[in-house]
Amino acid sequence: MIVCVAVVGHQNNPLYIQSFTEADDDLKLHHIVHCSLDVVDERVNNPKRSGSTLNETFLGLLYPTENYKVYGYLTNTKVKFMLVTTDLDVRDADVRNFFRRFHSAYVDAVSNPFHVPGKKITSRTFAERVSNIVKSFRLNPSG
Amino acid sequence: MGREVAESCIDSLLTEMVSSYCNHFYANKPELAARRIEAIGYQVGHQLSERYTMERPRFSDHLEAIKFICKDFWSELFKKQIDNLKTNHRGTFVLQDNRFRWLSRMSPEPSLENVDSQDPSENKAAQATSMHLYFPCGIIRGALSNLGIPCAVSADISNLPACEYI
Repeated sequence: MIVCVAVVGHQNNPLYIQSFTEADDDLKLHHIVHCSLDVVDERVNNPKRSGSTLNETFLGLLYPTENYKVYGYLTNTKVKFMLVTTDLDVRDADVRNFFRRFHSAYVDAVSNPFHVPGKKITSRTFAERVSNIVKSFRLNPSG
Repeated sequence: MGREVAESCIDSLLTEMVSSYCNHFYANKPELAARRIEAIGYQVGHQLSERYTMERPRFSDHLEAIKFICKDFWSELFKKQIDNLKTNHRGTFVLQDNRFRWLSRMSPEPSLENVDSQDPSENKAAQATSMHLYFPCGIIRGALSNLGIPCAVSADISNLPACEYI
């Protein structure tokens, strides 16, 4: 089950954070996302010897804690997407698919001429699309 | 989600934008008009580069990003690639387009039978044409800065319809 999605800009400024649980632990989720940013920077700055991961947009599992898993995705414009989920066995392909749809919703939101780059995304359409994507992810989990 | 628009609409929009900024909003202040047009281009380039880098793996260095601009970005915008790319390997790139789409319908000098031309000098024509170049310069600058490369872009038209961006 996805508990939180976040979009972080290239100066590590948050552009969009949305949690999908009923519980009131927004702060904890923000904290988790924040910590994962460090992992993203690490991955980007110290590439592993295997060159195939160097240029990928999808960064994979960043930060497994006892309850949550955090997946990351880095775009060409240094915008990072994070996904926090409580599922214990999530297929890689599902997460990639999720990020692809999320990226396309993000691009549409940013192409809004009234959106100021660097400021938070306030589009309701974007919020709706994201919750649709999250819902459909929830309905077809791998486990 | 893509709907298509006739290209003549884009041409008319650009011409009208340049003309309204030069003649109405900032009449007699061509520098301010130029900066405003360039700023519009910057935001457009910013957003377009987000859209066109969606499926691609990340770029490893500046040269790759410039090549992306020359090939994919240019062909998305103008249906052709940049014809010539030169560099001095010290941070300056020259992009040359031999038939720049947005200028291809502009005449190089004012025609002699133009009744309301008060001052048909070379300078006026060149200046009017150069106003139209600020927008593509802004687009390039916006796209590059979104890819993490701060830069300055200037344009040079010595022989229409060719156009160079530096």
